[in-house]
Amino acid sequence: MGRKRLITDSYPVVKRREGPAGHSKGELAPELGEEPQPRDEEEAELELLRQFDLAWQYGPCTGITRLQRWCRAKQMGLEPPPEVWEVLKTHPGDPRFQCSLWHLYPL
Amino acid sequence: PLISMLHRILRKGTYIIWGCGAPRGKHGFSRQYSHIYATRLIQMRPFLENRAQQHWGRGVGVKKLCELQSREKCCLAGTLFKSMQLQPSILKYIHPDDELVLEDELQRIKLKGTIDVSKLVTGTVLAVFGSVRDDGKFLMEDHCFADLAPQKPAPLLDTDRFLLLVSGPGLGGGGGERLLGTQLLVDVLGDEGEHYSAAHVSRVILAGNPLSHSTQSRDSINKAKYLTKKTQADSVEVTKMLDEILLQLSASMPVDVMPGKFDPTNYTLPQQPLHPCMFPLATAYSMLQLVIKPYQATIDGVRFLGTSGQNQYGGSLGDPGPTIPDTLGCYPFCKTDPFFFPACPHTACLMNLPSLACQSISFSGFRAEYHDLEGLGLSL
Repeated sequence: MGRKRLITDSYPVVKRREGPAGHSKGELAPELGEEPQPRDEEEAELELLRQFDLAWQYGPCTGITRLQRWCRAKQMGLEPPPEVWEVLKTHPGDPRFQCSLWHLYPL
Repeated sequence: PLISMLHRILRKGTYIIWGCGAPRGKHGFSRQYSHIYATRLIQMRPFLENRAQQHWGRGVGVKKLCELQSREKCCLAGTLFKSMQLQPSILKYIHPDDELVLEDELQRIKLKGTIDVSKLVTGTVLAVFGSVRDDGKFLMEDHCFADLAPQKPAPLLDTDRFLLLVSGPGLGGGGGERLLGTQLLVDVLGDEGEHYSAAHVSRVILAGNPLSHSTQSRDSINKAKYLTKKTQADSVEVTKMLDEILLQLSASMPVDVMPGKFDPTNYTLPQQPLHPCMFPLATAYSMLQLVIKPYQATIDGVRFLGTSGQNQYGGSLGDPGPTIPDTLGCYPFCKTDPFFFPACPHTACLMNLPSLACQSISFSGFRAEYHDLEGLGLSL
């Protein structure tokens, strides 16, 4: 019989981007601008940690936590960035922060 | 055979032991070994660059592989990888086509040039001088290894002190001769008429393989359990003998027992101490210490390092285990390479080798002093 034609069929198809915690249902409008800022800050912090993982000066990043890697670099006198330690200190127990970029892979 | 060596040391005092037990974290052995190599290079790089400058002049620049310019003479520092067709045994299967590759933190490059490939092993950290050619290989003109770390001068003493090293008693094998030899040693030490009496011996170090290889009876391991239920392993009787001998020794002087290749402890390095339950009699004395291998201690102010003959010193005494973890098993450490010794020992001993030899080594400004080795009947 065929589907009834909807008005939205004439719109271009755009893939919906999946949110960080799987919020595919759509987001509520930001309340007075408070919501997106912490998320942006968090994103920036995660990005800082990812860059720390990829920095070759401090040795391999797989198989150890970021804190362990930072402490190792400090002990060897490689002067790792103190901002990384600050970020790690403020999010203890959160695997997105504490574990390396590839911790979910069996490396 | 029973090998004992008397080495002159220094005044009575306290001693410190450096130990490195394998951490029992949740990772176990699932971690990559790359951490050991990376930390080894980081730790040894300053020594290497220092040596390179001494060797080839202050002006020589140590470059990274990514900074190489074609045909420009420069110095590179990194870890060696030897591509061997006939592995796994690196001693037995040397092939003329073995290739050397130098790896730094980011890249690797093939090496060519006048160098004795058979003398080098994977895992050695070294600096090379030369230039990269059009074929992409680095033509080596010269090379050098990291120098030994600075050595703190040993304190002076007023009396002669001795360290007794007993390597490979191998009890339980070859009839009663081994036991006779070991018992003789104990009697000599106890004898008060001896010129170098037991009072001058600071420490006895039993350097591995107190139990003979033959006590590891393969038959009982391969047989079915119901056949071996009532039989006792050979090593049990021998361990009781060893316990009695250690009891006699540790009653009068400090004794350290290092594990050996054939002993009931782990295979990987660093080998963990033998368990105290093996020596119920001797462990009653606090002078008995069960230690790890490799073993480092400061005895009367003198730094002593004992390792087994399995290690290969790839040209640098600062790194006694370059082949770890390639051919010698090891736990995947991540914080440091535990076999890199930043402080230079005064005496280093490789135990359980087929024959005895002594050598004094001098390095950057420290001249070796020959302490009457001829008087003791030992040759260089």
